[in-house]
Amino acid sequence: MTKISPSRAVGLILLTIIAIVAIFAPLLAPYNPNAATIDVLAPPSSNYLLGTDSLGRDVLSRIIYGTRISLQVGLAAAMVAILIGAPVGLVAGYFRGRLDFFLVQIIDLFIALPGLVLALIITAMLGASVENLSITLGVVTAPTVARLIRGQVFVVREALFVEAARATGASSAWIIRHHVLPNVARTIWAQLAINVSYAIFTLASLSFLGLGVPPPASDWGGMVRDGATFLPILPLLSLGPGGAVALTVFTFYLIGSSKKQS
Amino acid sequence: MIALISLRILVMIPNIVILTFLLFASMTSFLGTPAAIMLGEEASPTAVAELNARLGFDGPLIGRYFHWIGNALSGDFGRSYATQESVASMIANALPLTLELAVYSITLAFLAASLVNSLPFMRKTVERITSSISLVGITIPNFFLGLLLIYLLSVQLRWLPTTGWSPWSNGIVAHYTHLIMPILTLTTFYFSSFSLIYKSEYRAVENSLYINVARSKGLSEGRISYLHILPNSILPLITYAGLSLGQLVGGAVVTETVFSMPGMGRLLVDAIAARDFPVMLAVGIVIIVGVMILNLLADLTYGFINPLVRNAS
Repeated sequence: MTKISPSRAVGLILLTIIAIVAIFAPLLAPYNPNAATIDVLAPPSSNYLLGTDSLGRDVLSRIIYGTRISLQVGLAAAMVAILIGAPVGLVAGYFRGRLDFFLVQIIDLFIALPGLVLALIITAMLGASVENLSITLGVVTAPTVARLIRGQVFVVREALFVEAARATGASSAWIIRHHVLPNVARTIWAQLAINVSYAIFTLASLSFLGLGVPPPASDWGGMVRDGATFLPILPLLSLGPGGAVALTVFTFYLIGSSKKQS
Repeated sequence: MIALISLRILVMIPNIVILTFLLFASMTSFLGTPAAIMLGEEASPTAVAELNARLGFDGPLIGRYFHWIGNALSGDFGRSYATQESVASMIANALPLTLELAVYSITLAFLAASLVNSLPFMRKTVERITSSISLVGITIPNFFLGLLLIYLLSVQLRWLPTTGWSPWSNGIVAHYTHLIMPILTLTTFYFSSFSLIYKSEYRAVENSLYINVARSKGLSEGRISYLHILPNSILPLITYAGLSLGQLVGGAVVTETVFSMPGMGRLLVDAIAARDFPVMLAVGIVIIVGVMILNLLADLTYGFINPLVRNAS
């Protein structure tokens, strides 16, 4: 049992709160997030804690419901990234040689491109929906995952127990499954949290550019985009959901980055 | 060295061809041919076919790709479907702004990350400050940081103009006051990764034998930090900064949108919203070629500075 570092503990506590908000959104949100009212652009008050947007929708309720979309897309994208990246990294790292050279060429080709631009173009082609955004963000992150795991496999494959397994005549597939995979699993899990934070960050940026989950869904980046016009009079309209993005990204980053040191 | 350069250029060309072909092929297959986009869903198939033929989009995919890339190489990116403007001139207008933004932010982030993290005094305080800034840069999305700056510096304090861009012809002061916040946003973003990379290398070099020797010779801590450790730990940062510059040409999308600046990123976002095929392709190819060339330059700088790499070939 490893000790939990303080920053990771903070991350886990924040994650618990965020998860509770997402799960119990219908109980916690004071209003229906999509119900338009005549209270258009109301300033923060006891009725509407964070005010209302240009359609009279309660900003707090929309932020609360937005947690669901962010977590959903973030987790799904991180899983997609690992499902694509991990096998590629394992194969490239284990077999080395020409196959590795070929795979690394492809990986590097995509790592070099700016992730957000890649995501923008893919989303423009596939169309924006929760499923498509999860796939897109996963695909964009996969090369980084593959690269990382390949590096780890390089180390593990030289270990004595792998050598021993090979000497007893074990097949490559068996060695990868029983010796290499368990030893890189830690890295994969730590990378999961980092991937979630990256996916939520990029999803918010895409939505801010108008390519996120389509309305009326309460999508944080889209809320910032709509609210930015009213920044001088109603700052919370855009800064509220923006803060929610930053806090969620921060949470997953804390969990993922501190695991590396332990 | 020359063999190394030629090899890298030889690898770069097929990469550019593969990426631009992927871009071209996937765009035409997902978005439909340009005529189908222009004429809409109601158009008769013959009208679509006719217009496609006129635009040079009627042959097989490979043929169309070479037709397009041939024109692009001679500087002809066609005309925008949305504005009928020449795409080449749209790019020529947008690119300098993005490059200016990129060069300033990367240079500032590079200088700050290397100089601040080498400070020989107040190590703990400096470490705490740079770590906090790094955390901000990594976890706060650019659009949020940008809006916070606008709210604080323009709305509340009224020090700076909110958004927009002012060309050189409007005077130097207006030009730079409009650039301060976008540059600050991007610099914070890049400082975080630069700082992490430089710090880890700095720590490794700091513990090497020749630094101990320098210290035991009685050299001042300042001399050791800036003249001995810094030059020996700056290489990874140089490479990384070069790569970031390539990424930034396309990566300033969000920042340009927040601050309403008419750069490459905005051009791409507007083109996507309008399904403006030639503009999307042109921005795509500029980004791809830019990334590839800067990667090459980063590699070459590395080889130029590091004798181990230089003499390897």
